[in-house]
Amino acid sequence: MEKKKALVVDDEFHIVQVVAIKLRNNGYQVDTAENGSDAYDMACQTKPDIIVTDYQMPVMTGLKLIEKLRQNPQTAQIPVIMLTARGFEIEDALKEQLHISACLSKPFSPREVLGTIEEILGQQAAV
Amino acid sequence: MNRLIPMKKEQILWIAASAVGLLGTAAAGLAGVASLPAPVAGVSLAAAWVSIAVTLGMLIRHLARLKAMTQVFRVGAQMKIPFDSRRDSVLGEIAVAAEQFLDETHQKVRQMQDENRDLGLQVQLLRRRKSSIEAILNSIQDAVLVTDDRDRVLLANTAAESLFGFKFDKDNPCLVHDAVSWRELIRLIGKSRQSRTPHVRHELTFPQKDGPITFNTVLSCVLDDFGNVLQVVAVLHDVTREKEISQMKNDFVSHVSHELKTPLASINAYAEMLVDGEAQDAETTRQFCSVIQGQAQRLGRLIEDILNISRIESGLIKVSRQTHSLALVIRDAVQMIMSYAQEKNIAIHAPASILYDQVSIDRDMISQVIINLLSNAVKYTPAGGQITINSELNEVEGTVCVTVADTGVGIPEKDIAHIFDKFYRVEANNKYAKGTGLGLNLVKQIVETVHGGSVFVTSTPGQGSTFGFVLPLSKERAVQMVS
Repeated sequence: MEKKKALVVDDEFHIVQVVAIKLRNNGYQVDTAENGSDAYDMACQTKPDIIVTDYQMPVMTGLKLIEKLRQNPQTAQIPVIMLTARGFEIEDALKEQLHISACLSKPFSPREVLGTIEEILGQQAAV
Repeated sequence: MNRLIPMKKEQILWIAASAVGLLGTAAAGLAGVASLPAPVAGVSLAAAWVSIAVTLGMLIRHLARLKAMTQVFRVGAQMKIPFDSRRDSVLGEIAVAAEQFLDETHQKVRQMQDENRDLGLQVQLLRRRKSSIEAILNSIQDAVLVTDDRDRVLLANTAAESLFGFKFDKDNPCLVHDAVSWRELIRLIGKSRQSRTPHVRHELTFPQKDGPITFNTVLSCVLDDFGNVLQVVAVLHDVTREKEISQMKNDFVSHVSHELKTPLASINAYAEMLVDGEAQDAETTRQFCSVIQGQAQRLGRLIEDILNISRIESGLIKVSRQTHSLALVIRDAVQMIMSYAQEKNIAIHAPASILYDQVSIDRDMISQVIINLLSNAVKYTPAGGQITINSELNEVEGTVCVTVADTGVGIPEKDIAHIFDKFYRVEANNKYAKGTGLGLNLVKQIVETVHGGSVFVTSTPGQGSTFGFVLPLSKERAVQMVS
C-alpha cells in the first residue's frame, strides 16, 4: 500500500522535525518546507495528501499559502491543518472560506496532530 | 444811620433767653451772655448788640433752610419722626428732626460709601478670579470648547484655538461651523444637546498632517433650572500616545507570548515523543533530550532578556561594576559566538588589540551587549559573509569605541532611527531571522542607562551594517599590552 504523503511547513526547525518524525514513524512519507512560498512550490510538485502548516512565517504566511493553494485547481482540494499560537486564531468564517480542515494551538501535541490527520484522511477515504 | 440803643442788663438777659428758646440748643451759646459778669456786660453793651444781630442773621438763614426742610418733615412726620414733648417750639422740633435726618443721611452716605468700596473690591476680586480662570483654562492642554444653544462658540481655550485653527473672540463669538472643520465633532455636539445627556464620552480620531490624532472627547451639557440645555462643553484629551503605548503593550504581549510558546511547543512535543516511545534508538533519544535542553535554555534567555529590560527601566537591576579589560571581554564573546557563525559559514575577524584600556563595567552585561551585536550580525549576514569586531581608543575624549561590522542585508533608511526601540523589528528583514525586537533595546539600555555610554549604527541596504557603542574609560587607566 502506497504511503500517504504529508507536507510539514514551519520556520521553526525543531517543530518541523518533531512532526515529521512522528508522521514517518507512523507510516507517512514526509516533505518539509520552512516558509509558505517554498511549501507552495513543493505542493504543486508533490501533490501531498495533507499539509500541516504554521501560521506565522517569513516570506509567506500560512494563510497566504492556503489562499494560493485554493486558487490552483491542482492543489485546491488538499486538506490543510494549521498550527497557530494562541491569540492568532483564525475566524470560523475564514476557516470555512479557505477550507481549513483543522486548527491546532501551539504548544501542540504530535499525537494530536497525527490523530487529526488520520481523522481527516479517514473521512476523505469514506467519502 | 445806625443808632446804638442803650439797654439794661435785664433786657439783654431776656433777649438771650428768647434766643435760646427760639434756637434751642443751636443758640445755647448765647445763654452764656447771661452769665457774663456785670462789669463786662456793662462795658461791652454795644458789642453784645452786634453779636445778637449777627446771631439773628444766622438764625434767619437757618430758618429759611428749616422752612424748606419742613416740607420734607411733613413726610417724615408720617414716618413717625420721634416727637420730643419737652420741646415747646415747633422750630425746635424741626431742628431736632433735621439734626436726626442729617445724622441718618450722613450715616447712610457713609454706609453707601462703605458698600461702594466693598463692591469695588468685589469687582476687582471677580476680575482677578476671571483672569485666573481664563489663565487656568488656557494652561490646560486639553482643548475646551463651549457652545450655546445657537451654535455660537462662547469659549475656547488656547489649546482649542490651536487644534481647530481659529482665533476665539469673546466679544464677537463665531459659529461652531466656522471654527471647527471636524464635522463629526459638530454632529456629536448637536446630538449631545438634543439628548441632554449630562456627560457622554467619545473616542474620536481626526486626520492631521502629521498623522491621525485620537481624542478622548467628553461632551457635557450645562442645564438651567428647567432642564433646558444652555451650553455644551466639549473637552478633547489627546490619547494618541496612550493608544500607541497600549497598542505597543498588546503587540508586546502577543509577540512575547508567541516567542515563549515556540520553545515551549518544542519542549512539549519532544517530551511527548519520548513518553510515546517515538525515539527508536539511543541516538534519537539523545537528540530529543538535546532539543528539549536547548529550547529550555532559549526560553530562559528570552525570559531573562525581558526581565533585564524591565529591571533596567525600573532602576532595580543590580549592577556589579569592576574594572575590566574590554579586549578580553570581546575575545570571550567572540569565542562564544564562533560556532554559530561557523554553522552559517561566516567568518569573524577580531583583530587583536595591541593596546587595551580598562573600563569600569558590569562584565556580564557588557558581554551580553557584544554577544547580542555579534549574534545579530550572524543572523542577518548570508552564508559566506564576514563580520569584523574592533575596538578603538580615544585618549583625548577618554573613551573606547567598539564596532561590529557585517556584510549582511543592511537596514532600510526608514528603520534606522527606530532600530534600538523596544520590540522594533525591521519588517523587510523578518524573513531572514526571527526575534522579539528586544536584543538591541537591551544593548542600548545596558550601554546608555547602566554604563553612561552611547550606541550607534550605520547601514547600507544590501551591503551591511555597523553597530557600535562608546564607553567612558575607567579612571584607573592602565595601558597594557595584550598577551
